[in-house]
Amino acid sequence: MRAAIEAARCGLDTALVTKIYPVRSHSVAAQGGINSALKDTDSWEAHAFDTVKGSDWLGDQDAIEAMCKEGPGDILELEGMGAIFSRDIKGHIAQRPFGGAGYPRTCYLADRTGHALLHVMYEQVLKHGVFIYDEWHVTRLVVEGGKVSGVIAMELDTGKLHRLRSKSVIMATGGYGRVYRTTTNALSSTGDGLGLALDAGLPLMDMEFVQFHPTVLKRTGILMTEGARGEGGFLLNSLGERFMEKYAPKVKELASRDVVSRAEQTEIEEGRGVDGCVLLDLRHLGADTIKSKLSQIRELAMDFAGVDPIEAPVPVKPGAHYSMGGIQADMDGQTGIPGLFAAGECACVSVHGANRLGGNSLLEAVVFGRRAGKKASEYAESAGLTPFPDSALCDAASEVAGILKREKGERVYALRDEMAGVMEEHCGIFRSRERLGKGLERIREIKERYGKAALADRGDRFNAELLHMLELGSMLDASEAILVSALHREESRGSHFRTDFPKRNDAEWLKHTLVAKRGNDFSIGYKDVKITRFKPEERKY
Amino acid sequence: MEIKFSIRRHDPMDRENPGPYYREYVVEAAEGMTVLDALLKISEEEDPTLAFRRSCRSAICGSCAMTVNGFARLTCNLQVIPEYEKMGAMKIEPLANHRTVKDLVVDMAPFWEKMEKVAPFLMPAGGSETNQVTIEDQARIDESQRCIMCGCCNAECNSLEIDERFIAPAASAKAWRFAGDVREGHQAKRLERLSEEHGIWDCVRCLHCTQYCPKDVKPLKQIESLRSAAMKAGVLDNPGAKHVEAMADSVERFGRLDEGRHDLQDTGFLRSLGMIPLG
Repeated sequence: MRAAIEAARCGLDTALVTKIYPVRSHSVAAQGGINSALKDTDSWEAHAFDTVKGSDWLGDQDAIEAMCKEGPGDILELEGMGAIFSRDIKGHIAQRPFGGAGYPRTCYLADRTGHALLHVMYEQVLKHGVFIYDEWHVTRLVVEGGKVSGVIAMELDTGKLHRLRSKSVIMATGGYGRVYRTTTNALSSTGDGLGLALDAGLPLMDMEFVQFHPTVLKRTGILMTEGARGEGGFLLNSLGERFMEKYAPKVKELASRDVVSRAEQTEIEEGRGVDGCVLLDLRHLGADTIKSKLSQIRELAMDFAGVDPIEAPVPVKPGAHYSMGGIQADMDGQTGIPGLFAAGECACVSVHGANRLGGNSLLEAVVFGRRAGKKASEYAESAGLTPFPDSALCDAASEVAGILKREKGERVYALRDEMAGVMEEHCGIFRSRERLGKGLERIREIKERYGKAALADRGDRFNAELLHMLELGSMLDASEAILVSALHREESRGSHFRTDFPKRNDAEWLKHTLVAKRGNDFSIGYKDVKITRFKPEERKY
Repeated sequence: MEIKFSIRRHDPMDRENPGPYYREYVVEAAEGMTVLDALLKISEEEDPTLAFRRSCRSAICGSCAMTVNGFARLTCNLQVIPEYEKMGAMKIEPLANHRTVKDLVVDMAPFWEKMEKVAPFLMPAGGSETNQVTIEDQARIDESQRCIMCGCCNAECNSLEIDERFIAPAASAKAWRFAGDVREGHQAKRLERLSEEHGIWDCVRCLHCTQYCPKDVKPLKQIESLRSAAMKAGVLDNPGAKHVEAMADSVERFGRLDEGRHDLQDTGFLRSLGMIPLG
C-alpha cells in the first residue's frame, strides 16, 4: 500500500490487487513497533550497525544505510499522515528497547503498531483514489519480450479470470509462514509472490534464512510481541531459571531473535522445557503496565492459551515468523524483469541478511515500499505499454480448468499438512545435511503428488479449496527453495544453524544465495555482500 | 466432545439449490478449539464448499465476523466448548444487516462505502512536522482507533436495519478518530456533514454496537462525542441538536421535560402536527 500511495502521488493511475481486503493484510498483526533513530542521542549509524550485526554481516550495507538514514523521515511522514504512536510525557513519539538494538529506538503504539500503521496506509490509499481489486488472487505474472505487461487474476467472488494490463507491477505479497506448522503468520501468508517470481524465471535470494520468533503460543502459533521482553519480561525454564543469562549474559532476553530461539530450543531439547515450551513471565511488570502497554498480548494469552499474564507465566515456544529471503530486488525494488518490482517481506533487498531485528520489518516495508512506488512510477512514465499476449489468459484458464477437471486425487489440505510437517521437522531451528536432504526428498515427492491432487469443490464462487490449491503450489516452490538453499550453505549464520557446520565461515560463505527455477529443477548461484563501513566481526550479545 | 454445528448455507447464484437452508455438521471439539478452527475443520475434512472469510486467526484482521447463536461475533477468538455450554447450541449464520454473497460471506461493499463517506484520513491544519500530542489528547481517540472493521457493530445496529443509508456505528467511530484528533484541521466541516440526515443523529442509542464490539471500540460513546462536539461547534440546525436543545431548555425553564413542546421545537409547527397520532 505504501508503494501504491507513492505511485498515486506521482500522478499515476494506480490499483491494488489483493486476495483479501487491504485492512486484512497480515502487517495488521505486527505488534511491537518500528525502528528509527529519532533522538539526538541516537544516530542512524548506530541503527545501521545494530542491523548489520543482527544480520550476522549478511545484510547489504548500502541498503541498510539507506533504510536507517531515511527511516526518521518516513516515521515523521507517517505521523503527518495521521499515524498514532504512543507518546512520552512531553508529547513526542515514545520509543522502547527491542532485541538486538543498542538504543531504545522502537516507535510503537502499545502492542498494536502494525494495526495502527496498516490502517493509516489504507486511509491514504482511499485519500489518493487508488482503485482496489479486493478478493482478486493473482495467478500469474505476464512477461512479454522480457518486460512486464501485467497480471492475470482470479476474482474470488465469481471464479472468473481477468487480464490486468499495466506498465509497472509491484509485488508486495508478504511472507510464506504457512509452509511451517507452527507459525505466527496468517492463513493467507502463503508466499504467493515467490511462486509467481520463480515461474517468471526470477531468482530468490537468501531463502535459507527463516526467522523463528522466540515467543509464540504453543497450539496456535499466535505471536506474543518482543515488546513483552522489551518492557522487561523474563524467559524461564522448568527450573525457574532465567536461562538467557547463560546464552547472552549482557542483554539476556533482548538478544536477537535467532539467539533467543536457539536458546529456547536447546533448553526444551535438553529437558528443561515445560511441556514443550518455556515460560514468558510478565508478572513482575505489574497489572498496570500489562494493561496499558501489552493489552492485546494479555487478551491473546487469555483467549488462546487460557492464561492471564498478570497472574501466571505464559508457555511459549519458537515459531516460524518472518522470511529474510525473497525475490531479489535492488534498493528501488527493481527485479531482473523491467517493470517488475518487489517490496516488503516478499522481497530481499537485503537489509535483514541472516536475521532480522524486531522493529525493522515495518520500517523496511515503508521505506522500500515508498522507493519502489517512486521507481515504478518513473518506469511507467518512460516505458510504453507492453503487448499483452492472448495466450497468457488461455494458459491461466487451462491451468485452472485442468485442476477442476481432475476427478480423483489426494486432498489439498492433507498435502499441505504433510508439507508443513516436513518443513517443521527437517528445516527448523537446528539443521543438518541429513535432515535437510531427507526433507528435500519428501517435499519433491509431495510436489509430484500435488500435480495429481483433486478438488472436492468444483464451484466457481468463493472456492477456497481451489484458492488453496494455487497457494499450495507457491508454498511447495518456496519450501523447495528454502531446503535447497539451506542444504548448500555449509555454515551457521544468523537464523540458519547447521549442527554439522556450527561456525560462521566468512572465508567461503560471506555471500548471498540465489536460487532460481530451471524447468522443474532449482539452480543455485551466489552474489557478493555489499560491505561499506562495518567490517565483519564476531557476533555476541 | 462432539458438538453439532448448524450452519446456514446460501448461494443466491445457484440455480438448482440456492437455499438458504441449514446444514448440520458434527465436530469433535477439543479444549481450546475456536469456532473458526471448527469451521476450518469442517471445510478441510468434510465439506470444502462451505464459504467463509478468514485470515489472521488472532482477532486483529477483522475477516471472520459471523452471527453465532444469534449474535455478531469474531469466530477466531470464540471458543467452542464454553459457547456451546452457555447457549446449548452452535448455530452459525452470516452477519446480519448485510447481503449474503455465499454461505457465511457477506457483501462488505456498503460497509466500505460508509467508511469512505466520512473521509477517513487526517486532514491536518498546518504543515507542522513535529506534532506534539499529549497522552491525554491521544487518549480521547484511543478507543476509536482500535477498530478492526469486522462489521459486528453494523450487523447489530437497529438504526441500520431500518435505514440502509444510515452512516452506522463503524464509520461513526472512524469519524471521531479524526474529528477528535488534535492534529485535524477540518473538525467543523466534518461535524457539519455528520449532522446531516442519515448521520450521527439518526442513532437510536440502543447500545448494541458497543455491546457486540469485539475490540472495545465503544462506537456509541464515539457517536456521543461527535454529537456533543458538533453542538459545541455550533452545528445546531438539525432535528437531533434541536431535540437536545429543547430538552435542556425545558429542564432549565420548568425543571422537567415537557414532551409536548419537544416536537414543536425539534421539527417545527407543521411537521409536529404529524406526530399527533403518536401522542
